Formats: sequence, C-alpha cells, structure tokens
Amino acid sequence: MRFLGWRQILLALAGFGLIVAALLIAGAVPAEAIQTVVERALTRPAGWRNIIKEATPLLLLGCSVFIALKVGLFNIGADGQFVIGAVCSAVVALNVPAPINIPLAILAGIVGGCLWAYPVGLIKAYRGGHEVITTIMLNNIAGFLTFYLVSGVLKDPKSQQPSTAYISDLSKLPNILENGPLRINFAIIIAILVVIATWFFLKKTTVGYEIAATGENPNVAKFSGINVNRIMIRTMTASGGVAGLAGALQVLAYEHRFYGNFSPGYGFDALGVALLAGGNPLGILASGTLFATIAESTNVLSRTGVPKGLSFILLGVLVIVFAAFRYRKEANRGSDS
Amino acid sequence: MNGISKNFGPVVALDQVDLTVEQGHIHAIVGENGAGKTTLMRVLYGAHPANEGSIELNGQPVNFRNPEQAIRSGVGMVSQHYAIIPELTCLQNLLLGAEPSLIINQRDAESRATDLATQMGFQFNWNQPANELSPGQAQKLEILKLLWRNAKILILDEPTAMLAPEDADLLYAKLHELTQTGATVLVVTHRLPDVMEHCDHVTVLRGGKLITSVPVSQTNPSQLAEQMIGVSVTQHTLTESHPGEPILTAENLTILGDKGQDAVKSASFVLHQGELVGIAGVDGNGQRELFHALMGLQPFQGSAILEGQNLRDLSTQQRIASGLRLVAEDRHHEAVIESWSIVENASLGLHRLQDLKKGLGVNREAQLALATAATEQFPTKFDNIRQAFRGLSGGNQQKVVVARALQQNPRAILAFQPTRGIDLYVADLVYRELIEATRKGITALVVSFDLDEIMTYCDRILVMNHGILIEVPPELRHDRQAIGRMMVGATP
Repeated sequence: MRFLGWRQILLALAGFGLIVAALLIAGAVPAEAIQTVVERALTRPAGWRNIIKEATPLLLLGCSVFIALKVGLFNIGADGQFVIGAVCSAVVALNVPAPINIPLAILAGIVGGCLWAYPVGLIKAYRGGHEVITTIMLNNIAGFLTFYLVSGVLKDPKSQQPSTAYISDLSKLPNILENGPLRINFAIIIAILVVIATWFFLKKTTVGYEIAATGENPNVAKFSGINVNRIMIRTMTASGGVAGLAGALQVLAYEHRFYGNFSPGYGFDALGVALLAGGNPLGILASGTLFATIAESTNVLSRTGVPKGLSFILLGVLVIVFAAFRYRKEANRGSDS
Repeated sequence: MNGISKNFGPVVALDQVDLTVEQGHIHAIVGENGAGKTTLMRVLYGAHPANEGSIELNGQPVNFRNPEQAIRSGVGMVSQHYAIIPELTCLQNLLLGAEPSLIINQRDAESRATDLATQMGFQFNWNQPANELSPGQAQKLEILKLLWRNAKILILDEPTAMLAPEDADLLYAKLHELTQTGATVLVVTHRLPDVMEHCDHVTVLRGGKLITSVPVSQTNPSQLAEQMIGVSVTQHTLTESHPGEPILTAENLTILGDKGQDAVKSASFVLHQGELVGIAGVDGNGQRELFHALMGLQPFQGSAILEGQNLRDLSTQQRIASGLRLVAEDRHHEAVIESWSIVENASLGLHRLQDLKKGLGVNREAQLALATAATEQFPTKFDNIRQAFRGLSGGNQQKVVVARALQQNPRAILAFQPTRGIDLYVADLVYRELIEATRKGITALVVSFDLDEIMTYCDRILVMNHGILIEVPPELRHDRQAIGRMMVGATP
C-alpha cells in the first residue's frame, strides 16, 4: 500500500514535466497546450468519458500482465488474448438471442483468452519454451487469424471493410445512466472490480502466496511442495482469461462489433501499466488511469496540430524512467555473501 | 600484516589484526563463522581493501587493489566456493585469465599442464568438462590454477570441507611438499584435528580480533576451541537412544542421477521413533538424490513407507502434510526466498497445513506465531520479524531454516548439512534440538560431510559411497578410521 503514496504522486508530476518538455520539442506552446488539455480533456464530461473508455481495457490488460508477471512469466501476448476474446465474444453476441447473450458473450471472451494463453503455459512448463517468444508468435497468429475470419465467414456482407455486423442494442453492455454526465459504461465497474479481485487473490489467498513464491524462485517453490508446473500453467491461463474479458467488454461496451486490426496495441500499453503499478495490483488503478489520461490528452492536442505520436514518446520515457528506478533498487539489494 | 581493520558499513569485520606468516609454513587461521578469517584473507589477496593497516611481503610493503595484482606478486586464494566454470573443460578452466599467449596452442598448454599436475601427483583428463569433476578434483584443479600462475603464497579456505578423511590427508601431504619447495600455505579452517595434525602455526580470530598466534606444538585442541568460542564448551555426550516403532522404511531405493547414472543403488534403511541417524560420506555420492526422492522432487524405484503411507502415492505437499520435513542443502536456491520477510519464509512449505489456513487465505496470526516460535527455537538475531530475510546473517538464516522443520508436528526430518554456515555453539544447539525432538517420538536423518559431527551426535551411522548405503556396525561406531575407509568404499 505504501506504493500508492509518494511514488505515484511523483510519477504523476514526472509525467506532467515530461508533457511540458515533449510539447516544447513538438513546437507547441506548453501553456496553451496544457490549457487545451485541461479544458477539453480533463474538465469536460466528454473528456472524462473518453478517459474512462480508454482506461477499461488498460486496467484489465494491466491486470492480465500483472498476474502473469507475479508467477514469473512475461505475458507479451495479452494483445492476442484480447483480440481472441473479442472475436469470441462478438460471435456469441451476434448469434445468441439477447439478453442472455451478454453473460454468455463475456464468458466466451474469457474462455477464448484462456485457451489462447493455455498453450503458452504448457510449452513453458513442460518444454521450457520461453513465454516471450510463444506469446509474440501467438499474437501474430491471433491477428492474422481474426483478420481472416472477419474477411470471410464472419464478415458482414453489407460492410465494405473486414468487420462483423454491429450487435443489437439489447446485446450491448448498458451504461450506468443513459443521460447526464454519468453516461459511462458498466464495463469500467467490472474492470475496477477485477483489479480489486486481483489484489485480493494475489495478496490474500494461499494460491496467491504460492504464485508469488513461484515467481520469486521456482526452485524454492518446488522444494516447498508447490506444483510449479501446474501453478505456472494455471496462472498463465488466468492471465489470458482476464485479457479475453477485456476483449469481450471492448466489443460489448464500446465497439459493438469486431473488425480487422481490432487492438490498437492495448496489450503492449498494458506492459507499461503493469510495470508502473509496481508491486501492488491496486497500483494498476493509478497507472492505467495515467496511461488513459495521457492518451486522451494527446488525442485532444492532435486536433490543435500536435502530433499524436507524442503519447508514445511520453509513455516510453515514463516506463524507462520507472524501470530505471525499480531495477536500480533491486540491484542495490545485492547478495549477502 | 599489521593492524588490519576492515568495516562493512557499521559492521567491524576486522579490528587491528596483526598476522605474521613465515615462509615455508602451513599456517592455520581458525575461528568461528563471522570471526573474520575469510575477510582477513580477502584483504591479503586484494579482494577487499583494508580500512587501516599495512601489508608487507618479503619485507616490501605492498598494497594490492585487486586479486590480479596479488596473483602477479604470487599471492592467490582458493575460496570455499570454487571458481570453476562448469561448461569449460579442465584445461580451459586452468588457463582462464592466465592464457600463455593470444592464440592458445592446445597441445603445448596440455603438456605443460600435465607436467604441473604430475609434479603435484594429480591426474587430470584435460578435455573433460569441469562439471564432471568431483569436489575433491575441483579443488585440486583450483590449486593447480594458482600454481599455474606461479603463486608462492597459497590461501585455502576450508580446503577439507568437501573431502573424505583420506583425501584430506593426501591434500595436506601435497601441501607439505609444496612448502618444502619454498611455498607458503595459509589454511582457513574450523576443523581443529586438521590443524593439530598438519599445520605448523595457528592463529585464532574471534569477533574480528586477534586472540592468539602460536606454533601448533604449543597448544591443544581444547585450548584452541575455548579461544575460538570464548567460553569453554563441553563435548557433547551421546545419550542412549531407545528406538521405538519404525517411522520411515525404505527398501531397495534406486534413484537416477542427473547424468542418467544410478545415483542411489538399492538402498534400504529404517528410521525408528526416537533416533537420530546420520549419513556419512563425501559430497556427491547420492545423498542429494536420496533426499530429493524421499521429498518427491525426483522419482525413485523401490518402496518408501512413511507410517503406513506409500510415499510414491504422495505429492511433495502431501508428504509435508504427513510430517516429512526437509532442511534443504542450499538455502538460497532451495529453502528460502530472500526478498521475503522472516514471517513469510517461516511458513513456506507449511502454508497448506490446516493450522495455517483460514478460508481461502493464509492465517496471518498463525503465520506470525509460527515465525515467532521458529525464531525462538534458536536464538536468532534480527531487527524486525517482518524484515527481509536477506538482511539476516547466514548463520541466523540457517537457524530459521532448521527451526522451521521442527514446527507443526513433524514425524521425520531429513536434514542436509543442517549446520552449514553456523558456528560451533549454534551447531551444537541445532543437534541438541534435533536429538530432543527425536526423543519425543519422531525420527531424523542427517546428511553431513563432516564425519566428526556425525560421530558426535548421531545414534546410528550409515555410510554412503557411490550410491551404496551401508550401516556402520555397532562395534565400529566410534572408529573414525574405519568409517573413513567405508566412506571411500574400502573394507572397514
């Protein structure tokens, strides 16, 4: 919990400083740009809604990466699991009558994500295949496979693009309130609940303790009676499930269809979200929101002519600075020999 | 060496230590863990700069800033953990860092290496990968590495820790030959029999201070022990054991080693209630595989029954639940997670037991109580029970690891080198606690590479050599020579 204190505040300040510096480099007047951001992104309900919308997949995928990281696996494949979850969910939402298709579509997304991650765990546990390699490959397979599907069997005949049809209004995940400033989707509530559940699971349960032990030192875990292979496979699968859930919610709450190149790279941003969260899953709430805010801010700025790529530069610098802090601390611990 | 002082942060490791070593002597440095023996040696050969003091070599002041400078002046050290790279061949290891030329002439180097080895009476297959070396051979290679670099002053840290008694005698004989040719040997050790038998001069350190430095002929083991520890210790006397019901019965255990060989060959033994059984033997003779198989970390053939339960049917976790406990050999890689707190580590492995569960989670109060009990079993020094485990000294870490095995009603404790890295006083305490636990109706099996330790504390002694486990007959129970012969496979 200490982690949510000064460090997050410092991070926010550092982010602010970086924004100013990057704006200067991009040739904008920082004061004006910040004024634009504050007016259009941070103080208007429309801006908040966009931030919340952007934060939903980032929180969930951040959780997904975080869970895998805890057991010592670097899940680069959250993006692929997200896409597979989304397509599974879209298929169910389109083909099963409303409204029971909503829970079924969510379930389908989770199952799809799980199945896309399960082989990664298997290969890691029994063949020693590195998860970074296998997940990157599975990301590509997921991207091309879904593109193929929405160009063919899943394609909406009326559409010009590789896309499914839109799901019916009754199949959509509802907003909390349909009017007024709270016109935000339930999806964010689910995402926040998942973050909290992740915290509980990892910090409070015996399984979470075993996951942490395995992540810290698989050999010690084995000597402590923990079935390391099983726990790695299950944790990786769970990580995929959360990513699949993100894909499902993206379809049901925001996009309302599945289309080619569905993910703008959320799964990769999520690596940064999980890293920035530090040791505590609740940190994802802060880091996910930060990522979403920066994305929305540059979105607004792009309309005034500041290049949108700025957000990538910002996030990149942020992650590097944080990583430098974090790993310097670990290097300083040294050994006691 | 004059007035050497060395601090690590606030910790004073050496306090104004003087040391004079004569050429051609085997000079022993003795003391408990943490006495500063190794630190003093590391200062001498340049691995740690001293905070104060000066070093003279043959009357010339020297100031080594790193081991490379030291070895160029003929001072080299074989540390307790061998600096041998397992992936390289013996020859490559020998040459590493002291290559004769930019391009290595394999044949030339090999013949020179063989010459050097023959001088010492060693034999090496130079193209053998170093990971196939036994600990004894690895040590010989380390010594050759120093000689290859023309070392005239050899520092050996606990050289006999891994050797059978006969190999140890052989090593000292070779060291004697070396000193005849003008070399000087410094031996860091805590084994007093070695000192009395083989060394010329002995220096005792305690708590970073010089206690005494005398010719070996002018002292005796009990005096040295007292000087090392600071209080006089009474030699442990075996109390009679009254073995009860068998707890763990193993029959015809055959276990594959990591190279596909039979690491344990048809071993049978019975552990009874109320007895502490020791396995004597040189490292690498199957002790590790035996313990791992009993804990469920590798498969075995044959049968092992723990109080009516066939171990084959139980996972590691279930074996722990049935009362089997392991004091693992390698603390850092097998027993604890150093970045975790003492509390979290104290329940590691026991975390699935009924007492430590609460709903889905770990029972925090029970976990804390367990950690408190474990740290009180042996006097463990720490600032805060929630501090990171790596903040504890090696000895204190080991105490927690051993104490953990004694918690939550164990039935059979398997302890691999349980006194590794802890000083004599606490080692004695560890064995007393183990013995006391067995007397309350459990059993314990100890592997130690220190025969004296086994002979001092264990009710029964088994000897393991090349995977074959045999029991020392009762009439030879106190015959050190006979057991030593059994350890290398000779008839007692």
